[in-house]
Amino acid sequence: MKASRTALIAIVVTAIGALFAFGLLRGNPDDRNITSNLLGRPAPGFTLPLYERYWPDYGETFSLQEHVGQPLVVNFWASWCLPCYDEAPILQQAWQTYGPQGVQFVGIQTQDRDKRDEGRTFIARFNLGFPNVLDNDSLVGVDWALYGVPETFFVDASGKVVAKHIGPVTAAVLDQQLGALLR
Amino acid sequence: MFELQLGPLGGASVFLAFGLALYGAVAGVIGAARRDARLQTSARLAAVAGFILATAAVVVMQAALLTNDFSVSYVAGHSRIASPTWVKVVTMWAALEGSILLWAWLLTGYTALLAVTAPLSPLRPYAISIMQAVQVFFLGVLAFIANPFKVVPLPPLDGPGPNELLQNHWMMAVHPLLMYLGFVGLTVPFAYAMAALITRRPGTEWMAQTRRWTLTGWGFLSGAIVAGGWWSYEVLGWGGYWAWDPVENVSFMPWLTATAFIHSVQVQERRRMLKPWNVLLIVATFSLSILGTFLTRSGVVSSVHAFGNGPVGPAFLVFFLLVTLAAFGLLAMRWDDVKDRADLDSVVSREGSFLGVNILFVTLTAAVLLGTLFPLIVEALTGDKVTVGAPFFDQTTLPLWMLVLLLMGIGPLLPWRRAEQQRLSRNLALLAAAFVVSGALAWLLGVHKVYPALTVALAGYNLMSLYLLLSGALAPRLRLANRGALQVIRSYAVESRRRVGSMIVHFAVVIIALGVAFSSGYRVDEQIRLDFGGSAEFSGYTLTAVDRFMERTPARISAGAVIEVTRGGKPVTTLRPRLNLFGEAGRTVPTPAVYYTATHDLYLNLNSSVGPDTTFVVLRVVKSPLVTWIWLGGAILLLGTVYSLGGGRRTVPARAVAGEKREGAPA
Repeated sequence: MKASRTALIAIVVTAIGALFAFGLLRGNPDDRNITSNLLGRPAPGFTLPLYERYWPDYGETFSLQEHVGQPLVVNFWASWCLPCYDEAPILQQAWQTYGPQGVQFVGIQTQDRDKRDEGRTFIARFNLGFPNVLDNDSLVGVDWALYGVPETFFVDASGKVVAKHIGPVTAAVLDQQLGALLR
Repeated sequence: MFELQLGPLGGASVFLAFGLALYGAVAGVIGAARRDARLQTSARLAAVAGFILATAAVVVMQAALLTNDFSVSYVAGHSRIASPTWVKVVTMWAALEGSILLWAWLLTGYTALLAVTAPLSPLRPYAISIMQAVQVFFLGVLAFIANPFKVVPLPPLDGPGPNELLQNHWMMAVHPLLMYLGFVGLTVPFAYAMAALITRRPGTEWMAQTRRWTLTGWGFLSGAIVAGGWWSYEVLGWGGYWAWDPVENVSFMPWLTATAFIHSVQVQERRRMLKPWNVLLIVATFSLSILGTFLTRSGVVSSVHAFGNGPVGPAFLVFFLLVTLAAFGLLAMRWDDVKDRADLDSVVSREGSFLGVNILFVTLTAAVLLGTLFPLIVEALTGDKVTVGAPFFDQTTLPLWMLVLLLMGIGPLLPWRRAEQQRLSRNLALLAAAFVVSGALAWLLGVHKVYPALTVALAGYNLMSLYLLLSGALAPRLRLANRGALQVIRSYAVESRRRVGSMIVHFAVVIIALGVAFSSGYRVDEQIRLDFGGSAEFSGYTLTAVDRFMERTPARISAGAVIEVTRGGKPVTTLRPRLNLFGEAGRTVPTPAVYYTATHDLYLNLNSSVGPDTTFVVLRVVKSPLVTWIWLGGAILLLGTVYSLGGGRRTVPARAVAGEKREGAPA
């Protein structure tokens, strides 16, 4: 009697455990995998003010339209965004590798109204060599249908958005996407 | 230069508290098994020291939040410089890691209090060790899986701030705190029940020693559920307070089993019966609270306000399974000690009605559990994705709620053991009369929907029951006493706090039941377009959009409409439904404006954006009767619980069962 009771408990608990393990393993509908309508379409253009340190090389504003013809990496960030701090050095390193191969990087500070000092500090801290602009009204972010920051888009030489990455970008993702674009 | 860093300091506190919990759990059990008083004492001291360390961790977290120290990972991930101070304080429980820290801290606090105040008994060392074993889990999760004190090597300049919905209402400061106080409070009777099984002392000792803990935990949990409902009403913008969302359900299920438990223990106190029920109910309560945390923290069931996917899911699953297996396994091993020796004398008795309460509440729990897990079960078996909505829960639980109300009226009037036919008939006749009269009255006044009408009838019946209980208790006292009636009533209220407290709580339940029945049964819900300057009629009110407004504080931007409400040409109130935008990255959160009255609420929510050029607004307008009664009932319920708690330590009065009959039924 005691044995059968214990067995029953074991069976019920195992069944519940199996059900929940299924729930965990099935993976959650991760909304980070949502695709974007932008994929395969022309990248939405913008002209935004550059931070001062980029003026000598790029002028006071940066226009996406002027860079069609070369592969582009468009990275959105904000000064309050923790993962952005993780990916900034990775982006800088990739810029040093791929910049000379003709890839243009641009960083867009968004959802960060009037945070120019913070923006300068962020750029200085990572000594970001690629141009960075401020999207003060966050409207460019809306055009690009941002899920959140950080988010990175890859644009091919014809100006079409070919891929996007939600969350902090890794060296592997950059290598993979840029390898494909440069091929 | 050495600089004090908050991250490592908080992390070290958590780690040391974890070590102490581990030590206490082991030392207490060994000390109890070997009857070594020094080991037992050291375990109790470890409980106190653990609380001090956990408090240190909380202080460090608060310091980091208040000083915007973004080198602490939790602060960098969830706080924001521009937030007002109160938001920074409550940000501690606005996300996963912090809420586990809060839970662990409260748990160490309760354990320390238990270690200091619990009377010496063979149960105590085991109970404290079990509390510490639970601590090992929570502190272990904090130390190794979801550490909120990780050092951010390159601290950001600001953070994103907590979830907008949580910043939008002060209730968010209260609701989670109450919830965890409830869950943690109910851990104490669980620990004592386990201790009772381990020591083969499944008598009344463990419940007598935990009565206050149980009631306190239950009171906090009840408060948390009402507060959560109110928060949802004031923030979510659909004019309701309960949606049978998984997050709500998982907080509700432990409440259901705990409610059964606080009723059922009385049978064991008086009649030494229902022992297995009591152990089962408290085990279910504890494991359901862990299950709930697992379900909402793992993304296993989808919900509108879960904390999302985290690495803690598997940890909570393993802990839930361990707890369930260990507790039920222990119960199975001790079954021969636990099982009841006596049978019910009669179903028509107080203990019979308590058994009915158990069955009803367990059925309710099963229904809610089934509805919550059904989508997962279906997906596991067939791969299909289904959802279970409010209609399922309403249809399955409403008849059961009616039975609960029915039992609540008759149960307290039944004497222990066996009811005498004559008294019972008289009481039943009066109850039936109250039921029929109030039901008929409701019908005549236009309440033609089944459940609201039935609820009114049952409310009248319950009020009659309360009257019979009170008069039954007071009449003989008034006859015998040569004091004034007021004095007699006062001395009864002081002497019988438990009983009076339970009457207050039952009265509150009646109020809440009426509030729920009418607000859901007779709710009017419309979408109205209003041009600025224009008016619209709604359910006897005239709504005029007189103006729009915009406010800006460092933390948020609000834009909304000024709506003048008149009735029959007379001004009633001015409401300002708005949209709040927190921070640059934030979502806009609609913030309804509510006109509260005793009979109904007028609830306005902005369903369109408002800008400088806006010429019209779209409003969701809801009029729901008696909503306020729910919040009022919640307050009365807490009052009754607190009143009942004040009732001395005489938990098991040495009065004869025969003496109880007098209290149970009017003479």
